[in-house]
Amino acid sequence: MSAAQIAFVAGLFIVLVAVTAYSALVIGNAAYGGRTLGIAVFSRTRDHGELGRAAFLAHRISGFGIFAFLALHILDIALYSLSRHLYDEVQRLYGSPPLRLFECGLLFAVLFHTANGLRLVAVDLTASAVWSRRALRIVVAATAILGAIGSGVILAPLFR
Amino acid sequence: MSAAPAQRPAAWERPAAADRPTAEQSRLASYVALRVTGVMLSVLVLGHFAVTHIVTDVARDNAAFVARRLSSAVWIAWDATMLAAALAHGAIGIRLALVDYTATRARRRLLDRLVFAIAGILLALGVVAIARAAHA
Repeated sequence: MSAAQIAFVAGLFIVLVAVTAYSALVIGNAAYGGRTLGIAVFSRTRDHGELGRAAFLAHRISGFGIFAFLALHILDIALYSLSRHLYDEVQRLYGSPPLRLFECGLLFAVLFHTANGLRLVAVDLTASAVWSRRALRIVVAATAILGAIGSGVILAPLFR
Repeated sequence: MSAAPAQRPAAWERPAAADRPTAEQSRLASYVALRVTGVMLSVLVLGHFAVTHIVTDVARDNAAFVARRLSSAVWIAWDATMLAAALAHGAIGIRLALVDYTATRARRRLLDRLVFAIAGILLALGVVAIARAAHA
């Protein structure tokens, strides 16, 4: 691996560590209220408040994660200003199996953050709690379906 | 002797704080900016991801691909708008979230400045890269 590629991998590692640390901070703070987070989301008695709370935390964590990756992504794009050869060297890593897996995670994060964000805008504009509840289901379904299809396309070259 | 009608003091007579938006006003402005940039990004980022990962495989997104894509004014405008909107959205969003995790006002202000400084540096790097690719 070249020096630029090693720097990129180190940057990616920092992004993952930062996202993990931020998740711990956000979830730890949320659980401080006394109730365990997440368990109720997967339980049979799925109440909207719990799902809404999980969506709030997922929105924060995905937002932070996307921003952290954006910072790294702008840095790798900035290599283009230095030399196209350096840019291509680092860009080649994006096609590697671990990076393709990372891109699938990124896709899910972007899809969820987008769909949930649009839900928040819609709720702000209509101020409807009923709509909000239904919309959250649509957000989760859209993220899962579009994410699965997109991941299939991203990972397909690995199985060819 | 009749009292003079109440008049707003001139700018140089007022304390500076009177001209500054209140915390409530600036928070509202932040929320509006967050939503406006967010709706823009829902198109810009998903379009960007679709073009670089779905329509074109990521293995083909090399410098030649970037140069070809950025030979069109539409894509230059797309990328520049996306860059500015994404950094603004991220910086404002992180600033609003930080309120929940910072104990003191001084620490919050320090982190605020750090986030906005990082966003500013990234904006500069991104603009230079887009300008380079657009000229190539």
